This record gives sequence, C-alpha cells and structure tokens, in this order.
Amino acid sequence: MKSLLKSFAIMGFVLLVLAACSGNGGSESDSAGGESENGEPSGEITVWGWNVAAQSMEMAVEGFQEQYPDVEVTVEDIGRLDVYEKLTVGLASGGNGLPDVVLVESDRLANYQEQFPDALTNLSEMGYDDHADKFGEYKRSVTQDSEGDFFAAPWDIGPTGVFYRTDIFEEAGVNPDDIETWSDYVEAGKTIKDQTGTDMVPIDIAADDALYRIMLNQQGAYYFDEEGNIDVNSEESKKAFEVIEQLNNEDLVLNNDGWNGVVSATVNGEVATVPFGVWYSGTIMDQAPDQSGDWGVFKVPAFEEGGNRAANLGGSDLVIPSATDNKEGAYAFVEYFTTNVEPQMKALEELGMFPSLSATYEEDYFSRESEYFSGQQVWQLFAEQVADIPVANYTSDYSRAFDTMADAQSKILLNNAEIDQALQEAADKLESETDRSAN
Amino acid sequence: MKNRMSPMKKILLYTFLSVGVVVSVFPFYWMFVGATNPSGEIFNIPPNFLPGTHGWENFKNLNENIGIIRVMGNSLFITISFTALSTLICTAAGYAFAKFRFKGRNQIFFMLLVAIMIPYHVTLIPLFEIFSVVNWLNTFQAVILPQLSYPFAIFLMRQNMQSIPDSLLEAARVDGAGEFHIFFRIVLPVMRPALAAVAIFLFMFQWNNFIWPLVVLQSQEMYTFPVALSSLVGMSRIDYGQVMMGTTLSTLPIMIFFLLLQKQFISGILGGSVKE
Repeated sequence: MKSLLKSFAIMGFVLLVLAACSGNGGSESDSAGGESENGEPSGEITVWGWNVAAQSMEMAVEGFQEQYPDVEVTVEDIGRLDVYEKLTVGLASGGNGLPDVVLVESDRLANYQEQFPDALTNLSEMGYDDHADKFGEYKRSVTQDSEGDFFAAPWDIGPTGVFYRTDIFEEAGVNPDDIETWSDYVEAGKTIKDQTGTDMVPIDIAADDALYRIMLNQQGAYYFDEEGNIDVNSEESKKAFEVIEQLNNEDLVLNNDGWNGVVSATVNGEVATVPFGVWYSGTIMDQAPDQSGDWGVFKVPAFEEGGNRAANLGGSDLVIPSATDNKEGAYAFVEYFTTNVEPQMKALEELGMFPSLSATYEEDYFSRESEYFSGQQVWQLFAEQVADIPVANYTSDYSRAFDTMADAQSKILLNNAEIDQALQEAADKLESETDRSAN
Repeated sequence: MKNRMSPMKKILLYTFLSVGVVVSVFPFYWMFVGATNPSGEIFNIPPNFLPGTHGWENFKNLNENIGIIRVMGNSLFITISFTALSTLICTAAGYAFAKFRFKGRNQIFFMLLVAIMIPYHVTLIPLFEIFSVVNWLNTFQAVILPQLSYPFAIFLMRQNMQSIPDSLLEAARVDGAGEFHIFFRIVLPVMRPALAAVAIFLFMFQWNNFIWPLVVLQSQEMYTFPVALSSLVGMSRIDYGQVMMGTTLSTLPIMIFFLLLQKQFISGILGGSVKE
C-alpha cells in the first residue's frame, strides 16, 4: 500500500509542476492596446519574421519608439517556412494565437489573401493609400487586391542579377560587358568551359526553377497570366526553357542538390556565374569572405538585343492579421518601417535587405562602390531595375505551380523530354489540380 | 569452439565491420567538424577534415541567437516529464487491454489501431483551437498533454503484456494483493525491457517533435530544440557553424539516454521473440 501511495504522490507532483509552468506562457494576446489618452497608439505588439528580415525589424524598433514611445514591440525570429505553418494554422482557426504583424514573401501573399479573405487588415482603410506612389508598379501589384486596396505593406524586393567570378572570366578572356543576350551568355559559357573547365550555372534541377522564373518575369510572363489563367505553355515559357535546355546540352549546367549544394558550388568556384536575386550577395559575402574582389555582377541578359534586363526574384511584405487587438499599434509600426528611409537604409547597409521604397534610391549609399564586388556600384545596378520590373500574377496556386514546373524542368533537362510536350503536360496537370483553365 | 574462424574470414569480417563503423560514425564526426569551424569552411574543396578552433565562438553566437541553454532546459523538461507520464499511462492502458476483460475491449482496441493511421497534420488545427480556448497556447503543458496516450506505445505494451501468464496474476490475487499492487509490484518489474523500449521510443518522439511545438509555442524563451534550430535556417543567409553546433548539442541527450537504457533496450527487442 505504501508503494501505491508513493506512485500517486509522484504522479501528483509531476502534474503540479505541469500546472505551475502554465504561468510562464501567455505573453501573447494580453496586449490590450489601442489608443492612449492623447490619441496616440499604445500597448504591445508582436511581430513575426525570419532571419535577417527579423533582425532588420529589430533594428527599427528604437527609431519607431522615438515616434511612438507608448508602443512596445517584440520581434520573434522564426524560420521562414515555420512562419507559414504557424500563420496557416492560426488563420484556419480564426486568427487564434497570431501576432500583430507578420512578414510574408511576395509570391505567397496572394495565397493567404485569397484563401482567407478578410483575415488580413485592409491597410488602405487605415490610410496606406497615401504611400502608394512611393513604390514601383511591380511591388504595388503584389500588395494590392483586385479592388486596388493594400492588404500588405511593401518592404524588400529582389531585383535580379548574374553574380560572376571576375578571375574566372579574366582567365577565359570573356568580357562580362559583352553579354547582352542569353545567346551571348551561352557563348560565354562555352568559352569559359573550354578555357577553364568551369561550369556556367548551378541549378537545383529537381527542386528549384529560379532561373526559369527570372526569365519568365523578365519577359512579363509568369506561371499565370493577369486573369489568373494557367500560362506555363506560353511562348515566353518556351523561350525560357529553350535557353536553359541549350545551357544543359552544352554541358554548362551544374546540377545541385538543394540550397546548400548551390551555395557550396558558388563558394568553391565550381561555377562561373550564379543568376539570382540581390539577396544572394549577402550569402556570397557571408560564406566566402576571402573571395573579396573576385566577384562582380551584371544584369540578367535579355532575350533580344536591347530587350528588358530587369526582373524580380523574392522579396517580402508585411501584413496585419485582422484578429489583432492592437490594430493602431500594428499599423503604426508597419507604416513606420515600410515608408521611412532610415530603417530601410539600416537594413540594407547592415544586412543587405534591399528596400522597395523608391525614396531610398536617392541615398548616397547606392552610388557607393562595393569593395567585395570589385569596386562595382552594385546597389545602383539593382536599384536601376526596380522601375522596370514587370508585374507578375502569383495567385493562390503559386506553390502548386512551383512544384509542377520543377518537375517539368527535370523532365526536360534530365529525361530529355520535348519542351512543348513537357509544358503542355504541366499545364494539363495544373488544370486538373486547380479550378483554373489553361491558355 | 563456437567461433573458430579462419584468419582469412576474420580479416574479411573485420574489414566489413570497420567500413560499417566508418560509414555510420562519419556523419557525426563531420557534424562535429562543422560545429568547430567558421561557417562556409565546410564547403571548402578539398574538405577540411580536422576539428577547428571556432567551437566556442559558434556556441556563443548560438546562445546569443536562440538562447541555446534555455532551449536545452525547455526540451529536457518537456521530454522528461512527457516520457515519464506517457510511459506510465501507455503501460497501464496496455495492461488493461491485455489482461482485463470488459465490454467493448476489442472495439476500443481496434479504434486505437485506426488512430495510429491518422496523420498528425489532420489533428493540428482542432488541437490548436482547443488549446487556444482554454488559453494554454504558449505553455509547456500544451506540448506535453496532447500525445500522452500514444497509440503505438499502448499497442507495443499490450503485445508485451500478453506474455505475462494469467496464473501469475491470479496467484497474486489469491494472496490478497490489490490491483494497483499487482500492477506496480508484479507487472512492471517483469516488463522492464519493454518499458525501456517504450521509454526510448517516447523520448525520441518528443525530443524530435517539431510541428506541434512549432505551432503552439509562440515566444522564443519557450522554444524546444527542433523549433529553435529551425529558426536558424531562415532564408538565404545561414551560419552553418551555428547550425552544426546546434545539431551536435541536440543529439547529445538522445545518445546519453540511449546509452543509459541500451542494455534493456536490446533485451527488449529480443524479449518478444522468446516465449515460454
């Protein structure tokens, strides 16, 4: 009997401990906020973001509190895909447990906006329209709904460029200024392979179609057209895959396994160029600090002479879930963070987050020469593009299309499928999986 | 007399085993090398196979970044209390299914087997709503409670309990022992190997549990290991030195726990195959 009592006592103790730690929780949700007596926003707000983006917001808190001393800001640094997992569960359960501000990538925004209408605060109603002309057309198009109201505040943007190894180009005798079209790019790749044995471009063939998306966007096309119809078998799409297939046939593509594989190839000099968004500059500088001066950037080649060389890859924006109980405080932070030059420049200078706020491009920093990138005015090169980035309609089926096109890419590059046929199959597949029709 | 192998055979056997050891140990060694070198170094060609001197630096950054000591404490608390409670509950349930006759026993057991097949994701949103209604989001008990009665563990215990002879229990009853006494004094001691196996299983499950803690824990000081490590892999900027240091630290408790219970665990696996 004694031992029985003992075991019950242990069980009871464990339960007590469990109950005791409930006191730790609940830092969320009790941010009773709104307006203080003087009509200024007050209370607490919580912000979700990831990695360097979260750090950028953290750095902005000080400046924000100079203007709004009554608002307390907590920034939670959460993994990128983890944010989506939590956001989806929170929105699906009617806004439970969500913070006051969430960072979302531009290409995922439409998904949340269409799947959970009214779950995101209409920023236009809170006065964000006053800032509409401070952003380029591309960024406005991804953050506004079909009525032209902002449901997200534009933040960072990913103008693209081709990062290249200056030493490898020199050794092969190739001048990057001469690469104006994709056929120049392929020719340069052949020369480099002949002279140095280095591959031209890393592609994670089975999982990521980044290069294809750059090419689509640059031609003003995307997975879906402006009406939301499936557009993967368009002329532009075919042209893009023709270039990628040619690169592959000439043996200039290094097939990588996952993101780490691409980074590894970049750092080891296994590839001469990497076409990516501006944010990749940060990755290169972080992982290969000793290659300072060996890197340069040129704009993405055009499809025909004099054609468009501006495109976007990546970028993110801020949303305010409607369930927040401190809309005023959240809006004050979002407005401060996205429309003021100072926090944007800090994020750029210290963390390489590229702003979409046009006014920032006037800053001296943009004309500065980067020591790492061989004295080039890299920021200028990216900023120049922003006004010319064509609009892309990501839609709520973005991630489905993304997976489908990565499959199509592996069929074309690894199984030698005909481009026309592979794209038609991809379009059919998307048509059966979504309620959209294919062009 | 059993093991008189020819030297040739011996050489072959040992070569084979050595290769096996290298293959299975090397990833751990590589993780350790990554943890003690600056980020980016692990990508070097030719690779650097020697541990570096950057370990302390990585640890400091990691602690600054995600508060690794706090995270370790959270994970240990959650996992140990979960393992203790859950082992007890699942063992008791397994015992009841194996040794008691009651109405609907087989139906309930069948439902339990069906429950094994329900994907975790399906229950995610309902569970989340329940915990937000009782205002338990962002608490440790929200992580510990939902899976306490773990269907697979109950199943495993039931199968093992069936090997206990009914006559043993009857003899105890005749001697006047109460049911609790029988359970704690007679059943549990003979079930030690199975208990160890279930405990290791539950420990590993909770230690690696990711999606539920991720969803239900909201502030950084509450995070468990997998959730905190996942926040390191944000976007394009990854400090591989910190990630490797974090994964190294997170595998240690599992290794220690396994080593402690290893003897029981292995006899637990054999236990099922030997019947009286």
